Amino acid sequence: MKKNAVTIAIAALLLVIFALLLFTFQVRQSEVVVVATFGKPTDTKNEPGLYFKWPWPVQNLYRFDQRVQTFEDKFSECYLADHSLVLASVYIGWRISDAKAFYPKFQGGSIEAAQRQLEGMLRTAKLQAFGSNSLANLVTTDPAQFRFEQIEQNIQAGVQRQLDEHDYGIKVEFLGFKKIALPEKVTDSVFERMKAERNQYITKAQSDGDRQAAMIKSSAERQAADLLNNAEATAKRIEGEGNAEAAKTLPVFQQNPDLAIFLLQLEAMKSSLNQKATLIFDERTPPFDLFRNLPAANSSPTQ
Amino acid sequence: MERNTQKNGLVNLVVAGLMLVAAVAAATLVQSLAGFAASAFLLIGALVTFVSWFQMRLEENERNEKLELDELARSRGTSLFEAKDSGSFPARNAREQFEKFIVPAFAVLLLLIEGMAVWVLWRLSAKYPVTVIDSKATASLSLFAIFALVLFLFGRFSVTIARLEKNRLLQPGAGFLLAAAYVCAVAALGIAGVEAKHVHADFWMARVLCVLLGLLAFENILTLLLEIYRPRVKGKIARPLYDSRVAGLLAQPESLFTTAAQTLDYQFGFKVSETWIFQALQKNLPAFLLVQITVLIVSTMFVFVNAGEQVVLEHCGKPAAVFGPGAHMKLPWPIDKAYRFRTDQIQSFAVGYTPDEKNDSPIVLWTVAHSKEDNFLVGNRTVVPSDTDTNAQPVGLISVSIPVQFQIVNVTNWIYQNATPDELLQNLATREVVHYLAGSDMNDLLSYGRLAAADTLREKIQSAADARNLGVKIIFVGLQDIHPPTEKDLAATYEQVVSAEEKTNTTILNAQSAAIATNYAAEATAYSLTNLADAARIRAQTQAFARAAAFTNQIPAFEAAPSVYRQRQYLQAFAEATAGARKYVLLVTNTSDVVIFDLEDKVRADLGNLIMTNTTP
Repeated sequence: MKKNAVTIAIAALLLVIFALLLFTFQVRQSEVVVVATFGKPTDTKNEPGLYFKWPWPVQNLYRFDQRVQTFEDKFSECYLADHSLVLASVYIGWRISDAKAFYPKFQGGSIEAAQRQLEGMLRTAKLQAFGSNSLANLVTTDPAQFRFEQIEQNIQAGVQRQLDEHDYGIKVEFLGFKKIALPEKVTDSVFERMKAERNQYITKAQSDGDRQAAMIKSSAERQAADLLNNAEATAKRIEGEGNAEAAKTLPVFQQNPDLAIFLLQLEAMKSSLNQKATLIFDERTPPFDLFRNLPAANSSPTQ
Repeated sequence: MERNTQKNGLVNLVVAGLMLVAAVAAATLVQSLAGFAASAFLLIGALVTFVSWFQMRLEENERNEKLELDELARSRGTSLFEAKDSGSFPARNAREQFEKFIVPAFAVLLLLIEGMAVWVLWRLSAKYPVTVIDSKATASLSLFAIFALVLFLFGRFSVTIARLEKNRLLQPGAGFLLAAAYVCAVAALGIAGVEAKHVHADFWMARVLCVLLGLLAFENILTLLLEIYRPRVKGKIARPLYDSRVAGLLAQPESLFTTAAQTLDYQFGFKVSETWIFQALQKNLPAFLLVQITVLIVSTMFVFVNAGEQVVLEHCGKPAAVFGPGAHMKLPWPIDKAYRFRTDQIQSFAVGYTPDEKNDSPIVLWTVAHSKEDNFLVGNRTVVPSDTDTNAQPVGLISVSIPVQFQIVNVTNWIYQNATPDELLQNLATREVVHYLAGSDMNDLLSYGRLAAADTLREKIQSAADARNLGVKIIFVGLQDIHPPTEKDLAATYEQVVSAEEKTNTTILNAQSAAIATNYAAEATAYSLTNLADAARIRAQTQAFARAAAFTNQIPAFEAAPSVYRQRQYLQAFAEATAGARKYVLLVTNTSDVVIFDLEDKVRADLGNLIMTNTTP
């Protein structure tokens, strides 16, 4: 009997504990809870703490994460005002601003369903924002044309406007580009252009090198020519000075001009004859005139 | 008493039916696999209680029929054995027909249900291992716990009644009710595990229950096979085919104890089951279980935080404290809940590339992709300005590899501001990189700009994280690699540019070398020219003076013998001058000779040119 009493007491205690769990609920800091009585939303609990409720099926709870949810849309193609095409994906941060308005709009208050809906709105807003901007507003080195952040803000404003129109109970907290790229064919063209640009740079560098080399060589040759010209002029001047100095001895030769001329002729003869010279003399030329006095038997040309 | 057991059977049927409906609703509410498995178990239990109750009714009718016939026989004074045709005992016939056809058919039906339940639940759990809806977990946990409690009370009562009354038909339903109580407790345990962030707890509990259902099916097959060969002895009452021994074993833990005790006795060779400790354990099992539960609850009042960790304590869902490393106390679960985070750990992610662990090449080249790299759009100023170059697309493509390291500095911001803070941080960092590159010049980035880029990016990512209250500190942003894309040999053309620049430098250096040589040669020639000229000048002067001096000395000699001196000078000079020349001397004869000279130079000397010299004095 005593054993049964203990068992019943424990069972009763457990029953009370479990029943208490059915009559109470906790709301976490990160949550918002909508209390529905027989399906009709009657209360919203935003603040964390412990609350009472009637057990299911009288009252039902719908819990939602009130923190900022982040999702990334598809990497989709967009047409720009300058007829360019870009592929872009954005990430969006949103939160449930009005849980009562939020949960009936999506099946079971599903975050995934909400994000699917948001993605459609995001696509529309993105196309609108891109349609009024050119590629140079998105990617440029010119700060005056760079409208990257404004485009993001325009997309965010576009999405928020659509949400507010139908009271989705959602607030977009932030939005940013996750990826921007060009379509494959355009990317190939950009690659080709970049290669052409590099080739242009190569040609420029090589031509510049040839130009500089030619200039350096030409300059060096001109400097060398100047140097040689100056040297030759100097040499001539020096030679002239030598000749002038030498000419000062000429009065000495004037003492006997015939002898002087004769000696000069002899020097000239010595200088003009070399190993290869071929001389033809007859017997009248001294010292070969000695041959004229030879006996007749020996009178034949001799080399 | 007989009437009471039938009522008990009816109560069991009602309880099993109600619990089945409630369990299906609760399992659907929370999407618990273990809950669905418990529902399948309850369905089998409800069917068993129904069939056993129906059979009890048939037996009751048979007994009433027998009593009526006995009464009739006494009043007529005839023996019962006078009327033995089948039409005289409709209730008995009905019971016999039921046991002969319906009960086996029901056993087959149970087998099909059990097999189907195992197949469906196993496949479902394999496809969707995590199904429990967190927000409904607490309510469903309570419901299954209550189901377990209710089933336990009714099941326990019925089992006791069945044992006391030795009612073979009450036993199956009572056993299933009691077993269903434990099964519901298992389902509640699975949901509690999910609530305690062990997301696969429900999956594993469902698998355990699948195995149990499989055991029931296997036992059912064995029972059906044995039933075929069972000897039919008239008058011997057979055990109902739907009475599961497995369920009975589950329903009576003391029978488990008895089996265990017998095993231990056999194993150890003495009566282990008669030792005081074993008997105390057997006697006080509920108390031990209670102590165990108490210890379990008390254990949830302590939090031990390891080094490098922080624990956020929630009191009824409200953030109450942040615990650092050490031991801490709190109220038991579910009043206080603790959430643990590794805050000191430096975490990292990559922007622009997906690290490839397999690539262990020691060389990193622009022309070879060393991981899965993304291409980013980047501004692109014209490298070679030209008046005609107006249509060029002002964008370029670039690959960057940026590892980002961060640390959680404010754990409450980290967990309460954003649902997926790590994913958000990656998005913010990627956005800052995309933004920075879109507004930068590619050539600047590839050269001097890369040094400033890493610092700028770190500041921008930190600002973006602060703006979103992420509670993190960006420790490091590395621009470990930045280069043109590897596709289409684009990066190779950048190498060719470097090669061209080197060639240009080579050409210029070669030209400079040639210039130096030219200038030096010219200087040398100029120096030589002036030196030669100077030498010539000196020679001319010296020779002039020497000649003048010689002439001055020659004049007296000439004057002394003019003709001789003249002739001597001539002959001396002639001999010297013509010493090396070829000479022909023509002697005049009386005949007119024609002499032909070959004055051509010989290219190669031959024997004709040999000069014979007389070596003798």
